[in-house]
Amino acid sequence: MPSGALLFQSVILGLLLGGLYALLAAGLTLYFGIMRVVMIAHSAFLILAAYLAWFTHERLGIDPLLSMVVTVPLFFAAGVLMQRGLLSRLRPMTLTMMSVLLTFAIAVLIEGLLGYAFTGTQRRIQLGYGSASIGLFGARIAVVKLIAFGLAAVALLALYLLMKKTKFGWALRATIQQPDAARLVGIDTEKIAGYGFGLGLATAAIGGTALSLDTTIYPSLHWHWIGPLMAIIVVGGLGSVPGAAAAALLLGLMQSLLQIPMGTTWAQTIFYLALFATLAFRPQGFFGGRLAQRF
Amino acid sequence: MTGTTFRRTRGAVALGAAIILTLGACGGGDDGESSGGDGPIVVGISLPLTGDFSEPGKGVQQGYEAWAKIVNDSGGLLGRQVELKILDDQSNADRVVADYEQLIGSDKVDLVFGPFSTRLVVPSARVAEEYGMLFVEPAGAANEVFQQGFKNLFYAAPAVANDHYNYLAEHILALPADQRPKTAAYAAMDDPFAQGTAYGLKAKLEAGGVRTVANEVYPPNTTDFSSIAAKIADSRADVVVGGSQYQDGVNLIVALQQLNYQPKLAAFSTAPTNPEFASAIGNKTEGILSPTGYSQDAPYPSNKEFVEKYTAQFGSPPEEDQANAYTTGQVVAAAVTAVGCAEQGECQQKLVDWVRANKVDTVVGPLTWDETGKPKGAHMIQQWSGGEIKIVLPADAKEAEFLYPKPAW
Repeated sequence: MPSGALLFQSVILGLLLGGLYALLAAGLTLYFGIMRVVMIAHSAFLILAAYLAWFTHERLGIDPLLSMVVTVPLFFAAGVLMQRGLLSRLRPMTLTMMSVLLTFAIAVLIEGLLGYAFTGTQRRIQLGYGSASIGLFGARIAVVKLIAFGLAAVALLALYLLMKKTKFGWALRATIQQPDAARLVGIDTEKIAGYGFGLGLATAAIGGTALSLDTTIYPSLHWHWIGPLMAIIVVGGLGSVPGAAAAALLLGLMQSLLQIPMGTTWAQTIFYLALFATLAFRPQGFFGGRLAQRF
Repeated sequence: MTGTTFRRTRGAVALGAAIILTLGACGGGDDGESSGGDGPIVVGISLPLTGDFSEPGKGVQQGYEAWAKIVNDSGGLLGRQVELKILDDQSNADRVVADYEQLIGSDKVDLVFGPFSTRLVVPSARVAEEYGMLFVEPAGAANEVFQQGFKNLFYAAPAVANDHYNYLAEHILALPADQRPKTAAYAAMDDPFAQGTAYGLKAKLEAGGVRTVANEVYPPNTTDFSSIAAKIADSRADVVVGGSQYQDGVNLIVALQQLNYQPKLAAFSTAPTNPEFASAIGNKTEGILSPTGYSQDAPYPSNKEFVEKYTAQFGSPPEEDQANAYTTGQVVAAAVTAVGCAEQGECQQKLVDWVRANKVDTVVGPLTWDETGKPKGAHMIQQWSGGEIKIVLPADAKEAEFLYPKPAW
């Protein structure tokens, strides 16, 4: 039986991990909500952002967090371009299927370019405060993990406020819920969808920076992320941002706790077990998401 | 991956043209006065100069070349010059068998040296065994090599993976009972070499009464070590042992430091000897231990000469692959000198018997072997202290005192 201290420590680690999952899954579910696009390249952009943060620190000597000043607008623009230039040209009938192939190709392209530019060597940002931590009722919280969680939380909150409180957010939600009706009331759904896509990719820029603070990165790392993220958005209900966030926190927590009895290798299976269970018993997801029923 | 393709192409061009590289003394013409009076001693070798193992294969080749040059410069073996005949097996197990058949059967080489890696050592050792040739090899450390019942095979390195930590285990268990660590935690990558090192130490410490309180295995591409670290920190083990390669070791140490875990002893394989290790963990290296099979600074008499002459020949100091190849040469040379012959036939059995019964001083220390050809030594143990990594065990090779309990990291 694990000790109380270990359980508490694992809960904290799980929540910190879940926060990062939540931010990344939010972007992924947004794409699907807006356009029924399955964005396999989301995690490749995540790793790209992590590499840019690493590069900023390693070669330019600037704190990796500052790389976001460049990467967030850059990724937003890349997202808009990608939606307008590539994805919107796919035929609506086969959009979901073809988007898998298209974004798969983009993922492989990014991975190849990263390998070409930075080689396959594993990289890790060496920060002065890399191993610093603060105590909380006997558990330790690493400063870098706390920063990553903070970034994720702020970004998610900003996304939530944007969706709920701004005109753009209303238009985006209208586009997600009823594209035809949205067009009838005068929303330029094409443009909104492009911006929505950019927004999704911007979350990858923030997530990648957060990720780079406390982990090793290598070009093919994105394949390890896309599986769990896909599972999270299905469990959370495809297209539902709050659902994705809730599922991410829950699954991150479960992964962390299951590592105590099962070890690292088997604890990862929780994502896929949750995915199977969701598809078998509640295909629309556990936290909302009417979209999956139509999918 | 691009690097491999490039190397492969380059290697194929170089080797397609002339597969046989003949080396040896420049002035090997007049050795009429040699004991056998029959020209140079030819050593047959097959190496993976192209394909998967081309990188270490070339390292081994350099080690062999350095050995031949140093031997020839000092007058050769038994007064005869040494000539290496190296074939490229393309990292292919079928090819390596054909190569040794050719070298021994039709080229009638006088001696053979082993190829690189377990996968190629086992089939080639079988050929050498059929012809009754002494087979000393620089790189086949996996257990299966020694389970084949070979009678002519010897591994020319201090220890197989499971024995890397033997000096450390001995040292720990020899501590007075009140100082000896009581508990240990292990984390090993799911990889035969990495697990071999950690579990070798685990078996010895458990037998010596050090309780195992955590034992974790992680897949090779793991990047998040926080949960593993949490379990180890929670166990409050006195000793933490990592069966690591490189990046996993770095990540695990940082994760342990984030949890403010301060063990009395921390040992990790491979990672701490990497030149980038200290900066990778933010210079918080104090007291970290690592086994090492070869050190350029090791005080063994022949090592100084090897490092000097090797550096002069190749422009950079030798690494472990080169050292193990050189060691192979030293072992065979010692046997040839002692027995006084170097040719196929009865001489080979005499060489085998000599190696089996004697101790050979090499650049990696004195070596002896058991009946399966497994070396009976252990790796030196190095420890980080004051920003430098120094040999602390065994006592006769130490550059610094062993620090226990280790200072905080």
